[in-house]
Amino acid sequence: MSNLVTASTLSAENISVWFGERQVLEDVNLVFPGNKVTALIGPSGCGKSTFLRTLNRMHELIPGAGLAGSVLLDGNDIYGPDADVVDVRINVGMVFQKPNPFPTMSIRENILSGLKLSGRKIQNADELVETSLRRASIWNEVKDRLNDQALALSGGQQQRLCIARSLAMNPKVLLMDEPCSALDPGSTRRIEETIGELSESMTIVIVTHNMQQAQRVSDQTAFFLADENIPGGVVEFGRTEDVFNNPVDTRTNDYVNGHFG
Amino acid sequence: MAETETTQPKVAVRRKLQAGPLSRGDKWFFRGISAAANFAFVLVGLILTFLLIQAWPVLQAQGFGFIFGSTWKAEDGAKVVMQLGPMLWGSILIAITGIVLATPMAISFAYLIVFLLPKRIAKIATTLIDLLAALPSVVIGLWGLYVFTPVALHWAAILNRSLGWFPLFHVKDPSRPLTDSPFLAGWIVAVMIVPIITSVTREIFSQLDQGLINGALALGGSRFSVLRRVIIPNSAPGILGGILLGLGRAIGETVAILYVLQLSFNINWYSILEPRGGAVASWILARFGEASPAEFKGLMAAGLVLFVITLIVNSLANLIVNRSKANR
Amino acid sequence: MSVRPRVQPWAAGAFGLRIQTLISIVIPVVITALLVVSSKLDISLAVIACYFPLQLLTAALVGWRNFKRRGVKDSILLVVASFLSILVLGLLFSVLFSVIGKGFETLTPHFVYQNNIYVDNNTPLEYGGVGHAILGTLLIVLLTTVVAVPLGIAMAIYLTTSRARHLGLVRTITQALSGLPSVVSGLFILAFMSVAGLERSGVTGAMALFPLMLPTVARVAEESLKLVPADLRQAALALGAPNYRAFFQVVLPAAKSGIVTAVLLGLARVVGETAPLILTTNANNGTNVNVFSGGIASLPTYVYGYLGSGYVTSQARAWGGALVLLILVGVLFGLARIFSRTKSTNSKSKKVK
Repeated sequence: MSNLVTASTLSAENISVWFGERQVLEDVNLVFPGNKVTALIGPSGCGKSTFLRTLNRMHELIPGAGLAGSVLLDGNDIYGPDADVVDVRINVGMVFQKPNPFPTMSIRENILSGLKLSGRKIQNADELVETSLRRASIWNEVKDRLNDQALALSGGQQQRLCIARSLAMNPKVLLMDEPCSALDPGSTRRIEETIGELSESMTIVIVTHNMQQAQRVSDQTAFFLADENIPGGVVEFGRTEDVFNNPVDTRTNDYVNGHFG
Repeated sequence: MAETETTQPKVAVRRKLQAGPLSRGDKWFFRGISAAANFAFVLVGLILTFLLIQAWPVLQAQGFGFIFGSTWKAEDGAKVVMQLGPMLWGSILIAITGIVLATPMAISFAYLIVFLLPKRIAKIATTLIDLLAALPSVVIGLWGLYVFTPVALHWAAILNRSLGWFPLFHVKDPSRPLTDSPFLAGWIVAVMIVPIITSVTREIFSQLDQGLINGALALGGSRFSVLRRVIIPNSAPGILGGILLGLGRAIGETVAILYVLQLSFNINWYSILEPRGGAVASWILARFGEASPAEFKGLMAAGLVLFVITLIVNSLANLIVNRSKANR
Repeated sequence: MSVRPRVQPWAAGAFGLRIQTLISIVIPVVITALLVVSSKLDISLAVIACYFPLQLLTAALVGWRNFKRRGVKDSILLVVASFLSILVLGLLFSVLFSVIGKGFETLTPHFVYQNNIYVDNNTPLEYGGVGHAILGTLLIVLLTTVVAVPLGIAMAIYLTTSRARHLGLVRTITQALSGLPSVVSGLFILAFMSVAGLERSGVTGAMALFPLMLPTVARVAEESLKLVPADLRQAALALGAPNYRAFFQVVLPAAKSGIVTAVLLGLARVVGETAPLILTTNANNGTNVNVFSGGIASLPTYVYGYLGSGYVTSQARAWGGALVLLILVGVLFGLARIFSRTKSTNSKSKKVK
């Protein structure tokens, strides 16, 4: 009952992942407590984005995908036999690397698209559009042109629109896959501020290549690493300050100080 | 259970992932599109089945003679003999002539479009060649009969006069006008397959690694040596696929060449200027109107043979083209 | 232009080369022209036997003068490739101009809307036309489209979204079907008709066009669906959309212009098909809008009917019909071009707005 007040807890238990016969992740155990921002860092190809996609069942869309272990959202296995994929994806929203607003829809339609696409009724559409855009801190910029094409916005605005689009579904958890990698520093800063505000009401997991960003936005950090022929895994997981300032593992130390990757 | 607990390195058990539809609507969606896709097989199967039903008695009665023999007597009363040989070979001879004429033109055109012309002009040239591909065969046939034939006759005569000693250009009776020859039909077919070979070649050319070409040019290579040593070797399989596609089209061509053919059952092996030689597709259309029920079935059998040949040629061609595209 | 020659130091050399190239083209032309005028040599023969070798020679000389051996080979390559390409264009324009030129004499308003009743080989061109054939063609092609387009698009969806093992085989078969000889398609329906006991009508004609249109629609639609970023579909699925909603609300609208192109090219493919209609429909000189029974005329069969005729007016009718058909194909083809162009400029134009 406590999760009515605090946001949901997401936990990954013994996650292993395959693409066909190739194993890319081995035995990942992570807990993402409510209202916390968790950063997933690591060199390219270490499996952190793949891991992120297992958290809302987007992973299974890839041909030949395999998975072991379980992901629990407030204690319920999202891969369990009575879990509904649609509910999982609605409860665990996702923002992609490149801004991808739906090109044929207006700003307003983009916000409402999630409801339409998942076949839900739309009540108080105007209110929903406004609150979603406000939560993504883009309301003031677009309130006068809600019926313009979404592609008319700048890259940073498009990405915040995509965040607002996810928020309209009122997810418990928001997954972000390098949301700022295609954006300029100004837009990046604004999205980081948004992440801070959002964490007051939800749980956030963010994959990033940017060490400074991880330090700025996250409460806890998981460092992923893979080697040739060895599937990826979590080398170190803890409070962000600890991971960056007093890493236990020397490889973490090397990575966060820019010695490789 | 006890066993798995005792084995030390815990083997992770793969879970079953739901890859397919998410809801009942989705299930119907997937069923619908996969039914549509599998309809391609059904269609091929249906074509084969229905043609075979009609053609079977003829194929059974005529045996292999249907393909290799060269007599066609289907009038009522006498013993019916239906052998497609001359038409079949005619189709092949015309198609080969067309390919030989079309390939240099098509490769040159694609070379110009991709490597020499400025982008804007290249775009116009591409549109023009695609337009040529879109021209209906009956229009080409009309042009071939009234506009092109007089020109081609002129050239055929010159060719025969100067190179008549060579078996390919030999004619039994040079005093007759050289109409209705495989040479003429080959040219008309060439007009129809140039765009096919061009578009495949153009695509293959434009997918070539530009770095490779620039590298060769930087090493002091000339246009010619780059063409010979880089472009052609790297795109030869794709071009071959394009030529095969053209071959499939040429063998199946019907209306465009019908009026410039001499549909006689006297096989013409190689004299491309000789006014003699038919084509299967045109033969079907020409005989169809006045065919007796027995001959009708013979024409169905001819259609079946045509279908099988073009299906094989086209599948092979697409296989080659797809593979050479995927390699890049 | 001449103010800034120093910006392009290579231009000076290129200018000299350009002059030489010009001379190397002018000389063979002048010699050939003189030869034709003086000796009344046949022009086409003169081009092959005189102009072409001379052009090769002069081009090779220019090449040798500037780049030695390498220049000779390059010049010859250029001359041969250009010559063959001009030949291709010559053939295309010969077809276009002869159809337009000869068809234009026949093309009058009444030729477009009148039908062909009471017209024989001696009827003057003031009477009769292709109105009935245009109508018939549109009806038959429309029928084919209604079935072939949804099915073709469904095939394209499968080819772009499915991960079935035999996907490659499906694609190969679809492609192979697009090489189906049109006469075989006609025979197939004819065989089907004799088994099913169907009479010839507009519907059977439409059936015979169907196997020809389907693969074209499927192939072009597949190309256009491939151009839609996979991200969009993923985003829709991540919002909890079932696949069909993701497709119809996100992917299909994004590929709209490409789908329209597919339909137009499919139409252009079958609108001029002759052999299948000769086999599966009965000719009709009158207007018939009932596609379920009776003879029905179509443009290609109209042209075909007059194709081999020895009468001047009948030939003129064939050219006129061919021009109408050409215009029809040209319009479809042109529209397809326009639509496939908007596809690539879509995002830009919207950004400007």
